[in-house]
Amino acid sequence: MSIDAVLREPAHQVSPRAVGYWRLGAGLLLAFWIVLALVWVVALPHPWWSVLIVVLVLGAATAYVVVMPALRFRIHRWEVTPLAVFTRSGWLSREQRIAPLNRVQTVDAHQGALMRLFRLSTITVTTASAAGPIRIDCLDEDVAARVVAELTEITAAAEGDAT
Amino acid sequence: MTQAAPDEEGWQKLDVRMLLLDPVKTLAQFFIPLLIGLIGLRNTGTWPLWALPLAILAPITLGSLPWLTTRYRITTTQFQMRTGLLNKKQLTAPLDRIRSVDLEATVLHRLLGLSKVEIGTGVDDTRITLDSLSVPQADELRGVLLARRAAATTPVEARPATGQPAPERAPEPVEVLARIDWSWLRFAPFSLSRLAVVAGAIGVLSQFGDDLPFLNRDNLEHTWEWVAHFALALVVVVAVVVGLVIWVLISVTGYVVQWWNFLLVRERGHVRLTAGLLTTRSTTVEDARIRGVALSEPVLLRLVGGGELATLATGVGEGGVTTVLPPCPVEVATGVGHTILAEDGALSADLVAHGPIARRRCHVRMQWPTLVLTVAAVAAVVAFSIPVWVPVLVAFGVGALGVGSAEAEYAHLGHGLTARYLVAGSGAWERRRTALEREGVIGWVVQQSFFQRRRGLSTLVATTAAGAEKVVVSDLALDRAIALADATTPGLVAPFLTRTPNGPAAGAGPFGSSSAVGQG
Repeated sequence: MSIDAVLREPAHQVSPRAVGYWRLGAGLLLAFWIVLALVWVVALPHPWWSVLIVVLVLGAATAYVVVMPALRFRIHRWEVTPLAVFTRSGWLSREQRIAPLNRVQTVDAHQGALMRLFRLSTITVTTASAAGPIRIDCLDEDVAARVVAELTEITAAAEGDAT
Repeated sequence: MTQAAPDEEGWQKLDVRMLLLDPVKTLAQFFIPLLIGLIGLRNTGTWPLWALPLAILAPITLGSLPWLTTRYRITTTQFQMRTGLLNKKQLTAPLDRIRSVDLEATVLHRLLGLSKVEIGTGVDDTRITLDSLSVPQADELRGVLLARRAAATTPVEARPATGQPAPERAPEPVEVLARIDWSWLRFAPFSLSRLAVVAGAIGVLSQFGDDLPFLNRDNLEHTWEWVAHFALALVVVVAVVVGLVIWVLISVTGYVVQWWNFLLVRERGHVRLTAGLLTTRSTTVEDARIRGVALSEPVLLRLVGGGELATLATGVGEGGVTTVLPPCPVEVATGVGHTILAEDGALSADLVAHGPIARRRCHVRMQWPTLVLTVAAVAAVVAFSIPVWVPVLVAFGVGALGVGSAEAEYAHLGHGLTARYLVAGSGAWERRRTALEREGVIGWVVQQSFFQRRRGLSTLVATTAAGAEKVVVSDLALDRAIALADATTPGLVAPFLTRTPNGPAAGAGPFGSSSAVGQG
């Protein structure tokens, strides 16, 4: 077994518009909490130090909105070869997944309402293992359509029942 | 035999003796509503006499329906079953998709010489159930299905298929993998899997505790004072002894009932388990579907040198994990495991340890409860009048327990790679070892939490369709994890490797690949 084996980066980045999408999603959540906190501070009785906690939590959430999307954009990468799918995701923690295409069972593309706004699409590739689905988050929708077509073609050619 | 001859299209019925079983069962289900209905009617005083035969006939007719409407047959390529009176339903399963054929007989079934047949059909977890056939008919069906299944994967002979005994069932050597050894009964009290059932029963009983007339607060306090005053130690000792005796009785009885006549054989490319005192069951799994085995030694069983063995298979349903041995000596479990794997050493060889950093992580993880409980105890001292030695005792007690658990966890942690299997060791209190066929790996996940990244560690997950659908190798240095994945599935990982840690691919800033290597 050779030591010093290092996984290289997957070849492609996700769509740059993903940064905006992630920021908007996190921002909407943050806005919701800010409104809730304001209502609580203004309308309900509370000890003075609880305001400090609320401010700290909201500060951390704001930092999340500012820092997370850019970091995530740098980590999220993907690659499809004729033999395998390879992805990397996460921002603080990190996850790399590899699945051979001859074991792939389904290929789905999914587009939420917010994602449609940014013309993004997420691809999910499942294998016969419940622990094995691979997600490629936030691809440009045209790229996603092309990748799905490509994957479907390759996996349709594979034989056996993929277990 | 009472077996009806198949009709001209080869359709066969269930056994006619089901007419004794099903209507009785349905009648039993209808019994309470019937009783309520009868009493209700009686009270109104207008009880029509003609309703009584109707009330009894209706369940009997309903209970006869499965026998009247269910038909099955085997064609050259398919198993087919028809059910339903108004909504006709036909189930078909290609013979080459049939993965397992299980027989099960409750006491009632056995009195009538019947057996229920369950047929497992591959990727989806639906199973076809024939309830019930006569025992010879069921045995024959299993033989035919499994033989045809083998034949269907090889060129099919064009022969009209009926349920007649298949000529291709030439007697082949039956290899006995294990049979019950009643000296194994000594392991029964040390296997806690039955304890959950007992705990459940106690839980149910305690629901009624409130309603018992003598169990009120005054009585309890009075009794407690009396006990504390006279013979606390004696009462505790007696309670413990009585509890232990009851537990030994329950566990030994359970063991005998479950594993009576236990026999594990391998024949015609299948592994078959039969066991049971009251309800007999027989589970058959195709050898090619078994992707590995899992050997587990829960802490109590380990004290007396016992272990349990399960096979990891695809397409069996219920998680694909089938326990194939009762609690037995760990040498027996290991031996049977090796026979099933057709390879020696996977379950007994020393594993590759994960190093001092992994060990430190075990310790840190195990000390979290110490921290939390100690802080809680200190808070309790501040808030209530609790003696100061309590938090000290908590800190040292839980801390020592954590140190012990962490050492045990690290000792069990490890991985190995044999000619055909990937082996993973895990567990703190329970030592688990999983051997998964390398062919059965259908993907890799390399996970790094924030804290693992700072230490250059990773968690390697091999995904599979068998058993629990994944095998986890925890806290392995990142480069070694990737080397292990590469060695396990040659060619899959290699295209994504770079051999130059300082190359352009590795320099992606503070969160790029380079930050994680070099420390392991």
